[in-house]
Amino acid sequence: MAQRPVSRRTFLAGAAAAATATAWPRPGAAQSKATITYWNGLTGADGKVMDELIERFTRETGIRVEQQRLPWADLYPKLQVSVPAGEGPDLALIHTVEVPHFANDGVLEAIDEATATGKGFRGDGYLPATWQGGTFQGKRYSLPLDVPQHLLYLNVKVMKEAGLVGADGKPKVPAGRDELVTMAKKIARGDTFGFAIGTSNPGRYTWGFHNLLWQNGANIYTPDLKRAGVSEPAALEVAEFWAGLGGPLGIAPPANANCRDAFIAGRLGMWIAGSWNFTGLREAKVDFAAAPVPRLFKQPVVWSMPHQYAFPKPKSADRNRREAAWTHVRWLTDHVAEWTLKAGQVSASRKAHGDPRVTGDPVLKTLLGQAPNWQVGQPTPKWVAAENLTRPVIESIYTGQKPAKAAMEDLARQINALPD
Amino acid sequence: MTRGRRRQTGTAYLFLAPGLLLFAAFRVYPLLEGLRLSFTNARLGRASYQFLGLANYTRLADDTRFHVSLWNTAFYTVASTLPILAVPLVLALALNRGALRTVLRGVFFFPFTLSVVTVGLAWLWLLDPVVGPFNYYLRALGVPARSWLADPATAMWAIIATTVWWVTGYYLVIYLAGLQDIPRELYEAAALDGAGGWRTFRSITLPLLRPVLLFVVVTHVIGSFQIFGQVFVLTSGGPGDATRTVVQHLYETAFQNFFQFGAASAMAWVLFAIIMVFSILQFRLLRGHTEY
Repeated sequence: MAQRPVSRRTFLAGAAAAATATAWPRPGAAQSKATITYWNGLTGADGKVMDELIERFTRETGIRVEQQRLPWADLYPKLQVSVPAGEGPDLALIHTVEVPHFANDGVLEAIDEATATGKGFRGDGYLPATWQGGTFQGKRYSLPLDVPQHLLYLNVKVMKEAGLVGADGKPKVPAGRDELVTMAKKIARGDTFGFAIGTSNPGRYTWGFHNLLWQNGANIYTPDLKRAGVSEPAALEVAEFWAGLGGPLGIAPPANANCRDAFIAGRLGMWIAGSWNFTGLREAKVDFAAAPVPRLFKQPVVWSMPHQYAFPKPKSADRNRREAAWTHVRWLTDHVAEWTLKAGQVSASRKAHGDPRVTGDPVLKTLLGQAPNWQVGQPTPKWVAAENLTRPVIESIYTGQKPAKAAMEDLARQINALPD
Repeated sequence: MTRGRRRQTGTAYLFLAPGLLLFAAFRVYPLLEGLRLSFTNARLGRASYQFLGLANYTRLADDTRFHVSLWNTAFYTVASTLPILAVPLVLALALNRGALRTVLRGVFFFPFTLSVVTVGLAWLWLLDPVVGPFNYYLRALGVPARSWLADPATAMWAIIATTVWWVTGYYLVIYLAGLQDIPRELYEAAALDGAGGWRTFRSITLPLLRPVLLFVVVTHVIGSFQIFGQVFVLTSGGPGDATRTVVQHLYETAFQNFFQFGAASAMAWVLFAIIMVFSILQFRLLRGHTEY
């Protein structure tokens, strides 16, 4: 068959048609090729789990995720400066207490309830404290992923040596403050310690201090959030106990000890620390038991700090990237049972709570059992700054540099002096 | 100025221009911008702010934590200067000659190749009160263990020891270069005159090392006023405020306590003024001619 020569006009028309056809967005095509940026502070073992899940997510959806992972303390200033400059990520994982100040400073995009519901995120699917933590002044800014929280770890070997095991060979669990101190004193000798709260630097472990404050009905701010509450009598009682831990009681390690290493090395019997430690303890083959955080003051409150997914404000709206980010949040929420099992973080969504693999794990079961007692930080933009001011003050109490009352009154002055 | 001379000067400025432009853009402009911010209530990430006049500076007069951090910085500077001067000098004198000097210079210089974070983390572990090897060996020797970094009496000294370990290699190399510059004939003449080791050191080595000593003191003092990395990793300013230095306090104000860039900039300018005064004083005190 003889070939007909192609005229210049036909060639140009054909080329234009081909270019138009390939450039026209087909449903799902743009999103499947989208690349989103995702910043988080999962620098521990949970980061590896997130990597695995993201790899699967990309295989299944075609959406690439460029992660930037840096310590939480560095991540937040970076978000604060990058987002207004239009250099922020499409998605960020942040702690609940960061939501108020980021929302207040216009760093986060508000999520309207209709959009969230349309994507399948509803309040009744979550534990109330975690769902509520994503809001600030009546607007939603984030969606909860999981609930890092405190737990009481008991070193079986150390407890056995101190004779603190029951007839079944399981370590005894202290029922209250006096019993905890008595048991800890039985364990403490030489360089072995009875009790600690916090992973490293227990003297300046604000999350542990908050846990005790909350158990005693105290808080950083008064309930109306107008002034510091740390010099109230209930807070002072906690500060006195904190001073005792560092010195007179003689049960806890020094202020800058690495409690995690001490627990693994068999130099620490009872340890209140974050739930993120337990997978590492299993990897290190430590013989330990887990129990709910004991009630050391008036109420059995458990400190928690849910991770929240948030959408930082972009410089200009990019619908495809935003949709891709939503797809990622949806996908990870649907696979949150795996996150819970591998990363050791109980999901905020109720969906995974009935999973037999989760309920069959004794530690995860204990963590889930604490849910009614979870408490989070107060919803004020000043919370994080106040927490940073608290750190050196409680350390000075722990190390005996300052009397508890004077130190807490000084802390109250500092908190009240924070600018608006 | 003649026309030819003007052209020559113009050509020189033309060659200097790229460097000057970069210097102006990345040094002078941020410096002046910092000065401007120090008179405002600027916060990181917030577009609007108000002019406060000297309020950030006058507030520093009431900021007890700033006072403590100034005192700690001064203490660190004074207490660390002698070991920083002496330890590398003694090593340099020992390593100026000898069979193993090349290997040993490398060994002593090695810590300086490490980042401050690596050094800090290593020493954090070494000094850990429960599982750290330092306390382990003390206990083995029957000496009670100590919480070096959690005890206000020892924390700053532990930071100084870490710094000396870290930077000795750097100053060692500087001293060695200075020692190599001293003419051998002077030592030979001193030996012929019957001068002993101490007399030779006091009358020849030390005076002729004066420019090197000046360099070491000035750079160390400037660096000491700006100490941050070791403190941040080892103690975060603790226990309490016992090792909180000015830059640590400045960092916390700017990046942790509500991103107060205006207040932090004021601190930075006060620190700048202090360093400037000390540098000028040091130059005046240690200035002198070296004559052979």
